[in-house]
Amino acid sequence: MAESSKKRRRTNTDDLPFKNKLKPDSTILQTLKDFSTSSSSSSSSSKTLTLQDLSLPFSCREVSDLSLSSVQSNIESLVLRIAHSILSGNGFAFDVPSRAATNQFYVPELDRIVLKDKSSLRPFANISTVRKSAITARILQLVHQLCIKGIHVTKRDLFYTDVKLFQDQIQSDTVLDDVSCMLGCTRSSLNVVAAEKGVVVGRLIFSDNGDMIDCTKMGMGGKAIPPNIDRVGDMQSDALFILLVEKDAAYMRLAEDRFYNRFPCIIVTAKGQPDVATRLFLKKMKMELNLPVLALVDSDPYGLKILSVYGCGSKNMSYDSANLTTPDIKWLGVRPSDLDKYKIPEQCRLPMTEQDIKTGKDMLEEDFVKKNPGWVEELTLMVKTKQKAEIQALSTFGFQYLSEVYLPLKLQQKDWL
Amino acid sequence: MDSSESPTETKKTKSKTPRKNKETVLKQKSPAEFFAENKNIAGFDNPGKSLYTTVRELVENSLDSAESISELPVVEITIEEIKKSKFNSMIGLIDCERVDAELYDDYETEKAREKRLAKEARAQEIQAKNAALGKKVKETPASKGIRGRGEASFYRVICKDNGKGMPHDDIPNMFGRVLSGTKYGLKQTRGKFGLGAKMALIWSKMSTGLPIEISSSMRNQSYMSFCRLDIDIHKNIPHVHVNEKRENKERWHGAEIQVVIEGNWTTYRSKILHYMRQMAVITPYAQFLFKFVSDAPEKNVTIRFSRRTDVMPPVPLETKHHPSSVDLLLIKRLIAETSKQNLLQFLQHEFVNISKSHAERLIGEMGPDFSPKMALKSLTPQQLVRIHQLFRQAKFDDPNGHCLSPAGEYNLRLGIIKELHPDMVATYSGSAQVFEGHPFIVEAGVSIGGKNVKQGLNIFRFANRIPLLFEQGADVVTRTALKRINWSSYKINQLQDKIGIFVSIVSTKIPFKGTGKEYIGDDITEIASAVKYSIQQCCVQLKSKIVKKMQAREQQERKRNLSKYIPDATGAVYNVLKDMAETQLHASKKFRYGDDDGELLRKVYENLITKETLSEKLAKHVEQVDYEMALEYATQSGVSEEPRETIYIKPLETENKIIDLHSPFFVFRMFH
Repeated sequence: MAESSKKRRRTNTDDLPFKNKLKPDSTILQTLKDFSTSSSSSSSSSKTLTLQDLSLPFSCREVSDLSLSSVQSNIESLVLRIAHSILSGNGFAFDVPSRAATNQFYVPELDRIVLKDKSSLRPFANISTVRKSAITARILQLVHQLCIKGIHVTKRDLFYTDVKLFQDQIQSDTVLDDVSCMLGCTRSSLNVVAAEKGVVVGRLIFSDNGDMIDCTKMGMGGKAIPPNIDRVGDMQSDALFILLVEKDAAYMRLAEDRFYNRFPCIIVTAKGQPDVATRLFLKKMKMELNLPVLALVDSDPYGLKILSVYGCGSKNMSYDSANLTTPDIKWLGVRPSDLDKYKIPEQCRLPMTEQDIKTGKDMLEEDFVKKNPGWVEELTLMVKTKQKAEIQALSTFGFQYLSEVYLPLKLQQKDWL
Repeated sequence: MDSSESPTETKKTKSKTPRKNKETVLKQKSPAEFFAENKNIAGFDNPGKSLYTTVRELVENSLDSAESISELPVVEITIEEIKKSKFNSMIGLIDCERVDAELYDDYETEKAREKRLAKEARAQEIQAKNAALGKKVKETPASKGIRGRGEASFYRVICKDNGKGMPHDDIPNMFGRVLSGTKYGLKQTRGKFGLGAKMALIWSKMSTGLPIEISSSMRNQSYMSFCRLDIDIHKNIPHVHVNEKRENKERWHGAEIQVVIEGNWTTYRSKILHYMRQMAVITPYAQFLFKFVSDAPEKNVTIRFSRRTDVMPPVPLETKHHPSSVDLLLIKRLIAETSKQNLLQFLQHEFVNISKSHAERLIGEMGPDFSPKMALKSLTPQQLVRIHQLFRQAKFDDPNGHCLSPAGEYNLRLGIIKELHPDMVATYSGSAQVFEGHPFIVEAGVSIGGKNVKQGLNIFRFANRIPLLFEQGADVVTRTALKRINWSSYKINQLQDKIGIFVSIVSTKIPFKGTGKEYIGDDITEIASAVKYSIQQCCVQLKSKIVKKMQAREQQERKRNLSKYIPDATGAVYNVLKDMAETQLHASKKFRYGDDDGELLRKVYENLITKETLSEKLAKHVEQVDYEMALEYATQSGVSEEPRETIYIKPLETENKIIDLHSPFFVFRMFH
């Protein structure tokens, strides 16, 4: 057997389960190429829908990227209005769009969550809103400063400018989202960014603030995804797909094994729940390179939840879902059905807690799950068996099982939903 | 072993011989011996706990005794520290000086001494340095002398009550025979095993060898019994030194018990005081006087827990067994003890919740071998098993809680108020429920604030009206309060508020866990849910009070809270305006802003409008809003919402002037 001897050169773990099912890499590559071209042609043919194309029964609130000067003038006109109101003895109030769950709506045609246009008044002279409106005024002033100076700061920086008023960072962060919603611009337009969280490695070349970055030459850790996306441009790649990984540990394994050299791909992780920067970056890659996105997450409700945030957005940032969501992400693994298919031993599976099961059942009711029958089936199986497993459960067959057998076999069989 | 135990000597030699032969010989153990060896079961784990348990057993006996004759209890408990030299003289031992110092455990060798001195010198140096640097000097604990094993401390515990007293001739057996007691029927009792003072006697025998002294007198008894006795542990019989009748001039009734034991006041001081305080909470109708007396006057403690009410819970009634709670052995015992002749009468009269017709149906169900008139004595062991099986399977009505004597919501409330002086208190008394055929009642109280209450949850547990102090962590009450109550939903802050949680469970059989009978397990769903419900009911009551209080406070503090943020808000607005005004001046495009806005910015630039202007205007607005809100609140809640003060009115004992207005249906009585 020629092919088995070829593999033996790479590893000496020939007895790994299902290893014998693997075809030569060239065959798998061909399958992937076919898939990549077919998906890119299909997505390029269909035009991306926007909210305006749909005639929804209610109006929605969506934000767009605004230039610094328009953000500045927006703030200025708002402040002038408030100043007039104060001087005329009427106090003041902010009209803040509601970001509550009741004001969210999933649009199946767009496959993402959008924000309806309900808003609430935030008067200063009310005991329950006085704090928030004071914080809002302060954040507006700080953002105004950023606009004048034309610099970027992190959310943490912003918090530290007035710790005494903000008390903790959660409060300044929420108000910051309120402000961007109120001004009708994306959070990045406010020049406030979050700290770097996501990393990328693999067949990708892009420019970051003018410097060309080759992500195959970034060592094992990869390149940190720049917190503000306007620095990023000139993306080039010869990859066949983008692999989205939930966990840092799995990402490290794939990076160290140089998985992207065996199967040309770009590997991205946000180390758990994705931040805005990673989502923007993924969206940009998808749009510019037109590659299929495959996701590798834990086999638990939270894995699917993370997938949903990439796919149709989080409720917290739904006002900007158009810029943040990446449509058509395929669930590659680890899926509940894989547990038996790959004979993952009992001791590596964990029983789901009551909370897990509840989350799972709740998710079955969510629209973004329901639209994909394959996902419903998998999630139903998870809730029924009451078992979950992490990506690391695959390490039971050896640390490199993930990169040597599991992923190649999955790709070969086009086993994604 | 001292010589007073001569009867055992023969036994001892006997028991030694078989060991040599390596033959197993069947030995018998008396109950007293068993408890002497397993004293931890009864709460005599170590000297400290033994002191605590002795106090509690004596106090509980006193309460039982007074309650049994419906007398409001007055209990005086005194702990007297006895120095070693005094103790030695008491037992007639002459103090011996140490001659061979190296013989003792606490002997300090030359090396150890050097080490210690070096360490002390170093500590002193550091302290001096710290003092020089102006740092706060921490009081280093005075180096304690190493306590050797032999350095035991002894205490005389005296407990005097105004209870029933004891019949003169019964006293020796009541104290000198383990597992003989008056509390063995099926009813709610305070005692645990019926050990009480007997265990204290065994402990005194083990630790000091001194006898127990009992003075007792019953009501309308002209004499007072005085008895000094100890116990023959191996035979489980009393060993009476003195038993005489003395003069009873004051016509006192009750009992006074004196026992000298080894103990440890320093480590168990707080436990004993806690016990007394919690006892005062659950029995507000009793009066306690607690005293600790020692040679060092600064260590002395005297606490009086005064009576707050005259209402005493009824004496718990003895009840019959519920069919679903009996086991085979108990059925046999009941058959042996009953006066009834045939099966029908037996079922009908020896159990609760079996009526005559019900008994007939049960007998019919037992099988053809049974008949209502069959003699009890003729029942075969197989037939008894059949009865037992049927009892297990058949459905019976739940026993009612009439035989129980809960503390009562009123008393619990008074107890809490009396001992804790909380800001708020709510109590709840549940209805009787059943676990394994035994009825139980859960009562709960939740208090907020108060004297000597820690921040967070303070849990007070009571079982059959005695406080439980140990093994709190696993207890059903602790678990429920910590894990299953969502305090924040009742506007209570679990960490910041001073919360007192009082749960009293009474039952004919408390399902204790563990050998020490110190806690009730968390695995009994009936009790757990009853406890949770009771606490929740209290919280619901408190919530409305808390919300009202918060609203009132909000009213008072609204203006302050709103004004607090004025500088932040106006500062932010003004800074933006200032920046705008400055850039407007430099920029040539004048038409960027409308007329109003341009005017405003000009004023800002010319300092006609400053931060203070904005603040003033905003403050005025806040004042106006506050006024409107206060008006609205006043119209809603009524104007007379002033803080009320509780006052107590003494009933006038002197003749009441009354006028009765008679009508055909009622009498209307007016007091002047």
